[in-house]
Amino acid sequence: MNTAELIARLAADAAPPRRGGVARRLAPPILAGGAVAAAILMLWLGLRPLASASQTGAFWMKAVYTLAIACAGMTLMERLGRPGRPVGSAPLIAVIPPAALGLIAMIELMRAGGSQTTELWLGQTWKVCSLRIVVIAGPIFIGAVLALRRLAPTRLAAAGAAAGLFAGGAGASLYGLYCEETAAPFVLAWYSLGIALCAGIGALSGPRLLRW
Amino acid sequence: MTGEEPRLKALMIRGLDGDGSAHGQLLSAMSGFLRAYFFRRLGPASADAEDLVQETLLAIHLKRDAYDHRQPFTPWAYAVARYKLLDHFRRLRTRHTVPIDDAGDLFTQENPEEGAVRHDIAKLLSSLSPRQRSLLTDVKLAGLSMGEAARRGDMSVTAAKVGVHRSMKRLARKVGDEHR
Repeated sequence: MNTAELIARLAADAAPPRRGGVARRLAPPILAGGAVAAAILMLWLGLRPLASASQTGAFWMKAVYTLAIACAGMTLMERLGRPGRPVGSAPLIAVIPPAALGLIAMIELMRAGGSQTTELWLGQTWKVCSLRIVVIAGPIFIGAVLALRRLAPTRLAAAGAAAGLFAGGAGASLYGLYCEETAAPFVLAWYSLGIALCAGIGALSGPRLLRW
Repeated sequence: MTGEEPRLKALMIRGLDGDGSAHGQLLSAMSGFLRAYFFRRLGPASADAEDLVQETLLAIHLKRDAYDHRQPFTPWAYAVARYKLLDHFRRLRTRHTVPIDDAGDLFTQENPEEGAVRHDIAKLLSSLSPRQRSLLTDVKLAGLSMGEAARRGDMSVTAAKVGVHRSMKRLARKVGDEHR
């Protein structure tokens, strides 16, 4: 087919694309991934008693931290999913939550005065925490990749990292519904490690998964 | 931002609203810019340039709902074209870098006359079959000998000679038609 014919065919096919913006395009696969992740959490680990947990500051500290990272990942996905949109200093939004949590962790460590330092960093579950987050984030990552494929990312490694960051943040948010660790240093170390693993997996697999 | 921005963006938005003729105009205009861009990057001898033009036009069409009305159109189109070029290099498994320029790189008219000539040549060449086209570009534009071109095209020297002769006649006829 020569180019003129191609153009004629495409022009004839110019029905307006589905409206509803990015949100409607991104949401279904991500929500599906989130549902699968939630099911895995319930069947595998279950929930902690949320009625009493939600009375504690630590529960919300974790939730705000992981949700903020998920939001940062989503923002970056949306930017990187559109060709020609400058990303600029947007990646900095992914640095703010760990920086803020770092401050809280420092205060907690100073208050404990060195007596519980190891406990505050390692808690009871440091060996499994990060990997559990990666497992729970898996289906969300798949959903995020499917969503990104509906857009047109041109920087595939960066877009994959953003998808991983989002999935890691969302997966960690779900995991927080089970995990009973409360110390800020623990969350800073092991939650962040799990999320960073997800972002790394995303960056490595992005160029293969996101091609169009 | 380039001087083409307002016109192309208006066409894009009308196309997104379902105006087929605006969409066609946009793609036609883009095909000229894209052809010049890919020729500049791949060299005039490349038979892949026209494929890339088509692939990019198709991508602009299929991915147009990943375009946001609030964003300028030319950087969007440039990013799509650059992505397709990089993807092409990736497929060839060659290491190439494409400098990140602004959209001006795609919409440039560094030498308008040269650009126009290249555009005309490319347009003429697109009327040939891919086999004929690559043969002709090898011989007439890249300056390969008949023997070399025949080997590249996997045909006999006689067949290559006949092919080039026929293609030239055909192009001459086409130019004649357009000037009448």
